[in-house]
Amino acid sequence: MTAPVTARPPAPRPGAARPAGYALLSAGPASFLVHRRSAAVTGVLALLLAAACLAYLCLGETTASPAGAVRAAFGLPSDDAFVVGVLRLPRMVVGLLVGVAFGIAGGLIQTVARNPLASPDVIGISQGASAVTVGAMTFGVTSYAVLPYVSIAGGLAAAALVYVFAWRGGLQAARFVLIGIGFAVALRSLTQLFLTEGDHLIAQQAQVWTTGSLNGRGWGEAATLGWTLLALLPAVLWAARAQRRVALDDDTATALGTGLGHTRLGLVLLGVVLASVATGVAGPVDFVALLAPQIARRLTRTAQIPLLCAALTGALIVVAGDLLARTLFSPTELPVGVLTAAVGAPYLMWLIVQDRGVVRRTGGKA
Amino acid sequence: MLALLLAVGLSLAVGSRTLAPTAVLDALLHGGTDDAAEIVRSMRLPRTVVGLLVGAALAMAGTVFQGLTRNPIADPGILGISQGAAAGVVLAITLAGVHTLTGYIWFAFAGAAVAGVAVYAIAARGRSGASPVKLALAGAAVNALLVSVIHAVLTTDAATLDEFRFWNIGSLAGRGAAVTERIWPFLLAGAVLVLIVARGLDALALGEDVAKGLGQNIAAVRITGGAGAVLLTGAGVAAAGPIAFVGLAVPHIARALVGTDHRWLLPMAALTGPVMLLVSDVIGRILFPPSEVPAGVTTALIGVPFLVALVRRKTVTA
Repeated sequence: MTAPVTARPPAPRPGAARPAGYALLSAGPASFLVHRRSAAVTGVLALLLAAACLAYLCLGETTASPAGAVRAAFGLPSDDAFVVGVLRLPRMVVGLLVGVAFGIAGGLIQTVARNPLASPDVIGISQGASAVTVGAMTFGVTSYAVLPYVSIAGGLAAAALVYVFAWRGGLQAARFVLIGIGFAVALRSLTQLFLTEGDHLIAQQAQVWTTGSLNGRGWGEAATLGWTLLALLPAVLWAARAQRRVALDDDTATALGTGLGHTRLGLVLLGVVLASVATGVAGPVDFVALLAPQIARRLTRTAQIPLLCAALTGALIVVAGDLLARTLFSPTELPVGVLTAAVGAPYLMWLIVQDRGVVRRTGGKA
Repeated sequence: MLALLLAVGLSLAVGSRTLAPTAVLDALLHGGTDDAAEIVRSMRLPRTVVGLLVGAALAMAGTVFQGLTRNPIADPGILGISQGAAAGVVLAITLAGVHTLTGYIWFAFAGAAVAGVAVYAIAARGRSGASPVKLALAGAAVNALLVSVIHAVLTTDAATLDEFRFWNIGSLAGRGAAVTERIWPFLLAGAVLVLIVARGLDALALGEDVAKGLGQNIAAVRITGGAGAVLLTGAGVAAAGPIAFVGLAVPHIARALVGTDHRWLLPMAALTGPVMLLVSDVIGRILFPPSEVPAGVTTALIGVPFLVALVRRKTVTA
C-alpha cells in the first residue's frame, strides 16, 4: 500500500513561508532561518570588537603602531613584542572571555526571569562568588587555576540560598529580587569580614579583586576561563535553542504541553556557572551581565535576548571599559569594575524610572 | 531599658580581655589606676557612648524613613543614604582638602541628603509609585554608583585612601570622646526634628489623602522629617562609617513592642537601636580574638535574616 505520489502537497518554494525579516540559508541538506537584522548587528558588533581590541593593544603608557601591534599579537618579531605580546594581549583575551561569559550569563538568567533586573550582579550571585573566593584567598588559596572553581561553588550556593528563601508556594519575582538584594548586601559584608581577617598582603590583593579588575591577569587565567567556556559550549548551544521555549508564559507553555521546569533550571544553572567562573577570574565586574543582554536586545529588536550578540556586547563592554580604565588617569589604573558600574548603575536607575520591566513583569512567576 | 543596660554592661566588660562586672563598676565609680580601670575608662567607655549615639541615630532615622516612604524595608544603608554620606566624605577629603571630623560632618550631611532625594525621586517616578522593590533597586543602583565613585577616588589618590580607610568600614573601633563631642549637637537637632513630626508620620501612615484631611501639611512633614532623618544618618555615618540594617530591623522590633504610634515608636527605637549595635559590636570583638570584626559587618549578618523573614511574611507589592 503506497500512497500515491500525487497526493502530496506541492513542496513549498524555498523562502515562501518564512517569517518577515528572516533570510533562509541553506547548505546542502541543512538550512537555517536567519534573522537579518540580528545577523547585521552581529557583524557590526564583531567589527567594533575587533577595532576595540586593536585599540586596546596599541594604546597605553607606550603607544604601539597598529601594524606592530598585530605583528606582536601573532608572535612575529616586533618592537612592541613585550608590551603588546606579554602585557596587553593576555589581559585582553581574559577581558574578552570575561565579557562573553557575563553577557551570556545575564542573557540566560534574564530570559528565565523575564526581567532585566534579575541579573547575577543584582541578585547576589556575583557577591556570593566573591565572598567565597575571598574567603578561600584568606585561607591561602591564591592560584588562579583553582579560584574560578571555588567561585562557581560560591555562586551556585548563593543562587540556591536566594531561591530557597524566595520560594513560598511559588516564586514571586518581587520577593525574589528583594531577597536577592538582601543577600547581596549580606554577602558583601561577609567579603569585608574575610578581608579584615586575612593576612595583610592577601587582603590587599583581594581588595583590588573585589572591585573587578583585569590588572595582572595573564595566560594562566585566560586558559582556565577559555577551557571552561569551551567545555560549556554544547550547553550554551542547547540553551540558545531552549531559550525560545522558556520565553513563553506559563499558561501557554502548559497548554502546548512543554514542561518548562527542567529547562528553566538548566538555563539558570548554566547562567550561574558562567557568571561565577567569570567572577572568579576578574572579580565582580559590576553590571556587565545586566547591560550586555539589554543592549543586544535593543539593537536587534527581537523579542528574545540574542545570546551571540549579548556575548559580543559583553566582550565589547569589558575590553573598551578596561582600555578606558587603563588610560583615563594614566599612569594610575582604575579597576574596570569602577567604570562598568559608573555606566551600569545609571542604566539600572533609568530602568526603574521607566517602570516597565520592573513593575509589569514582576507580577509573573520568575 | 533593661536590655540596654545589659548591652552597655557587656560592651564595657567583654573584649579581648574580659573583666568581671564588679571590676567594671569599680572602675566607673571609684576611678583607680589599675589596668582594668584604664581599659574601661579610656577605651571601652568612649566606644560604648559612640555606639549608644550612633545606634539611636540610625534606628530613629530608619523609623522615619519607613514612615515617610510608607515602606517596610526603608533603611539608610539599603537606600544608599549612608553610602551617600561616605561619598560626601571622600570627595571632601580629596577635593576640598577637609581633614577634621567637624569638616567631614557637613559633607556627610550633603551627601546623605543628595543620595536620599535621588533614591526617592528615582523610585517614585512611574505609575506604581515608590514600591518596596523599586526603592530597594534604586537604593542598590545608587549604592553601586557611589561605591564606584569612592573606588575611583581611592585608587587614584593614595593619601585619601590612607585617611579614609580607617573610617569607612562601619566600625566602632577607635572612636573616642572627641567624636562624641562633635556629633551630639547634630544628633540632638535631628532627634528634635523627627519627634516634632511624630504626629504627622502617624497621619501619613493612613495615606496621603487622609493625612491631608486630618489637617496635616504633608509637604512640611516630609521636609522636616526628611531633614531630621538625614541629620541623624549623616551624623551617625560621620561618627562610625556606614552601618547597615540597624535602621531596618530596629523599627520593626520597636513596633512589635509599643505599636505604631510614632510618639512612642521613636523613643523606643532610640532605646533598641543601641542594643542591637552594641551587641553586634561585642560579638564582633569576641568572634576572632584578638582581631575585631567591624560592627557594620555583624549588623549586616544579623540583619539579613531579618529582612528575609520580613519579605517572606508579607505579600510584596511590586
